[in-house]
Amino acid sequence: MTIAAAQIVALSPLLMITGVGCLALLLDTMAKGRAPALWLAQLGCVAALLAVANQWMGSGSSQPIWSGMLIVDRMALFLDGVLIIAALATLLVAAPFMREHEFEHGEHYALVLFATAGGMTVVHATHLLSLLIGIETMSLAAYLLVASWRRQPAGAEGALKYLLLGAFAAGFLVYGTALVYGTTGGEMSYAGIAARAARAADNPLFIMGAYFLLTGMLFKIAAVPFHMWAPDAYEGAPTPVTGLMASGIKVAAVGGLVRLLGSAFANPGLALGHAGWVRVLGGIAFATMTWGNLAALRQENVKRMLAYSSIAHAGYLMIGLVALGQKVDGAQPALLVYLAAYAATTLGVFTVVAWVGRRDDERLLIRDWAGMARTRPAVALAMTVLLLSLAGVPPTGGFFGKFYVFRAAMQSPDLAWLVVAAVLNSLVSVYYYLRIVVAMYFRDPVRPWQPFPSVGMAIVLFVTVVVVLALGVVPRPVVELAAGGLVTHW
Amino acid sequence: MTDLTLTLLVPLLGAILVMVAPWGERTSRPIGIVAALVSLGQSLFIVRDFDKSIGAFQMAVDRPWVPSLGIRFHLGVDGISLWLVLLTTLMVFLTLLSPQAMGLHKTRSREFTVAILVLEAGMLGTFLAVDLFAFYVFWELMLIPMYFIIGIWGGERRLYAAIKFVIFTLVGSLLMLAAILYLYAQVHAVTGQWTFDYATWATITLPRGPELLCFLAFTLAFMIKVPLVPLHTWLPDAHVEAPTGGSVILAAVLLKFGAYGFLRFALPFFPLAAQQTAPIIAWLAVAGIIFGALMAWVQDDVKKLVAYSSVSHLGFVVLGILVLSQKGIQGGIFQMLAHGISTGGLFLAVGILYDRRHTRRLSDFGGLWKPMPVFGACFLVMVLASAGLPGLCGFVGEFLVLLGTFTAGKDWQASGLAAPMFAHPALLAGLAAFAVILAAVYLLTTYQRVMFGPLDKPENRDPQVRDLGLRERLVFAVLVLTALVMGMAPQPILDRTAASVQELTANYRFRLAEARANPIGPARRVVAGKPSARPASAPAGTARPF
Repeated sequence: MTIAAAQIVALSPLLMITGVGCLALLLDTMAKGRAPALWLAQLGCVAALLAVANQWMGSGSSQPIWSGMLIVDRMALFLDGVLIIAALATLLVAAPFMREHEFEHGEHYALVLFATAGGMTVVHATHLLSLLIGIETMSLAAYLLVASWRRQPAGAEGALKYLLLGAFAAGFLVYGTALVYGTTGGEMSYAGIAARAARAADNPLFIMGAYFLLTGMLFKIAAVPFHMWAPDAYEGAPTPVTGLMASGIKVAAVGGLVRLLGSAFANPGLALGHAGWVRVLGGIAFATMTWGNLAALRQENVKRMLAYSSIAHAGYLMIGLVALGQKVDGAQPALLVYLAAYAATTLGVFTVVAWVGRRDDERLLIRDWAGMARTRPAVALAMTVLLLSLAGVPPTGGFFGKFYVFRAAMQSPDLAWLVVAAVLNSLVSVYYYLRIVVAMYFRDPVRPWQPFPSVGMAIVLFVTVVVVLALGVVPRPVVELAAGGLVTHW
Repeated sequence: MTDLTLTLLVPLLGAILVMVAPWGERTSRPIGIVAALVSLGQSLFIVRDFDKSIGAFQMAVDRPWVPSLGIRFHLGVDGISLWLVLLTTLMVFLTLLSPQAMGLHKTRSREFTVAILVLEAGMLGTFLAVDLFAFYVFWELMLIPMYFIIGIWGGERRLYAAIKFVIFTLVGSLLMLAAILYLYAQVHAVTGQWTFDYATWATITLPRGPELLCFLAFTLAFMIKVPLVPLHTWLPDAHVEAPTGGSVILAAVLLKFGAYGFLRFALPFFPLAAQQTAPIIAWLAVAGIIFGALMAWVQDDVKKLVAYSSVSHLGFVVLGILVLSQKGIQGGIFQMLAHGISTGGLFLAVGILYDRRHTRRLSDFGGLWKPMPVFGACFLVMVLASAGLPGLCGFVGEFLVLLGTFTAGKDWQASGLAAPMFAHPALLAGLAAFAVILAAVYLLTTYQRVMFGPLDKPENRDPQVRDLGLRERLVFAVLVLTALVMGMAPQPILDRTAASVQELTANYRFRLAEARANPIGPARRVVAGKPSARPASAPAGTARPF
């Protein structure tokens, strides 16, 4: 294996995030106060974003790195951008949140970067080992982040569940890797697996290995029936971390699945057919969105409701993955656009959730939100736009993402039923998203609203709302980016 | 030349201005009124510049939106949408002008103005969109503002009414979205390109099964909006709970989208399915006409009464469209406009009564002519227009629809329609005509119980019960004048709808004949002049069954 300078440059976003994470950890032990580590982490994100842009402009073609362990291509760079922006938004929201709730640790900032670096490794991975390393880096950082709010008993519970089930999922991933390695004659790179898949597709052990890998990944995106950890972990985690889990970590896991299913297991013998993953994943997609939406109907806690909503969104995303398996036109860019819109929306929503609570009073129940529109009309309006985006109502990014994914699925007559099911699911989801709107607008305030002055949160909220509306009204730039091109028109 | 984009932008810019204006509550309504007035002026320019000899879309704005997906920002106006655009801008202007628009609520007028203006942009966009994607976006844009209008400024059961409105509307429109996506994929399969262009979509004939399913999805969305019995149950709730302004917009414009969408999309896209289901829809329309009238008759709540009369009147529109003849469709369109004016006026009148007396029960009124003579006169004109008195707007539409239905059998033969739309048109016309008598009965009784009789209830003698103020007089002057002009001189309106309706019916006849001739054909493109044209580039085997 040679490590050329060009490869270092190509991987510069990932290396920057990792390096800045380590430096932030060091700086935190040496400097006074938490501010230096925070500033370093934020600057690192901005620098990594510039590096992503530089790579995007620089090369049009994909570039394998380190003997095919990783790849740098437009899709990976697109998702890198989403992940880094998610990290930056999390940092901006987490700092005032932790200060308000008095549990500020400098490691927190480093861990956000480590989780992001893991996620970036996942979307760059073209080898089962690098996938595993990425997933584990991301998950370990996430376990710690969930548990970081030590005064919060729900945090410890959520973190423990997350850790145990996550370890279980890691076991599935490792075992699946071993089976695939054994049955393909020692292949772990996606290209190698794809080349041997035609022959190995009859081997039950190989199929088992493939499904073990799939199961491990489905744990990470919280697909039904592997979703049990999600509501507790989402509820227990500090709200900005919940935002990161719902946006960045989900984006990375779906990105990893796109690569795994789109290249290693794309073989028609494995994908289609009676026990092919297309059919299985279609069923799981249906179960995930339906169960997520139905369970969300009954939640009184905003964070739990959003956790189930996030599960439902994993279901919609899997429709895109199924379409990918059917090799229809535009499934991959559709998934990327959906992920970008979903990440922006989720980050904005959790920013509002983080914003409403004060020390010892998190205001997490829907009825606590009553009358917000009276005293905080701008935040209420922003929250409404974001919720409508989650529900998929035009003219928001959430609608456009759904439209794009459904367009991909509709091309295959076998998937028409999934689209109809998804569309009816959005109807269910509108009901519970509107419950928050009802509280904010239609009910009288029960308790006074105290402002929570934070420039960082205001910036994140403003930017996410603008992005969500822009993705819905002028989706052209992001569609062109997701298709791997340069933006030609605005 | 008028720019249709500007027509859409003015209300949106007005909404943004109201939102950010630092003066808050006090100036929001005046800014809104100015924005609505500018919008009204623009739609008058559209009417002036409209060329009535052209049946196709005019004044088109066509810009790429998302080119790789075939989405274009394509607007245009034709004879079918022209007057509806004017109706929209007029009614929004009058709503904002009317002091009762928010019902008894006096606060949050800023949010109200924003909601109305965003709603206006959505409504105008839906009427003007020639691209199906744009149509759907605007269609959904109407939902949320109306939800807020009912939910914030509504009556006691406003939450229930608002969520019912949203759920009913969304069931229809989401299924329509699925059908739009299916058609979009089929159009791609047949023509080889991704496009949402209306003209292209109107040449695609689907295989039978999918055609019926897609037709039902579209029609469900539209029939909920109309609303057609038995999908009407959301309407009385929404109308009763909504504030006056919401009721006016809902009745005058929003309900029109059902009939408009049916005429614009469901019929041209799915000719065979429309013809096969026409008997059911026609009978439902007639059932709605009679049921609505009977229900209106027994109501004690004036607002509910007007709401049910809406159900009845819009049944005529659906019936007229289904007749698929020049007379019927033109009558249906005219009826939409007339209903907008007369029912909009009735809801305003009810709003004024509620404002003065804080009740809507018929039995609480009586003898109001004495304290409110000007109101009485205006209310009378609206009642008579709604009842279809010759010389007022309501007569022309109903008459044309009834005539069209009555002579439908002959018209179908004469025009060469491949098959009759439904059996016994004369019977249906007779039943519908019966409801016209019912309308006169319930409307005139209502008027009599409110305005005439002794002024014996002490609450009605309260000084609170005063006659119309200046702004109310202005609003009613416009409505009364419009009702009179439309009733006396309907020809300019009918002239401008003729060409487009002719084109639509001709295209329908052609495509129905083709579809009936090839009952088990695959998805295909049917263009007048060269039947069953299918470009060689289209991939084979694309027309798999659903």
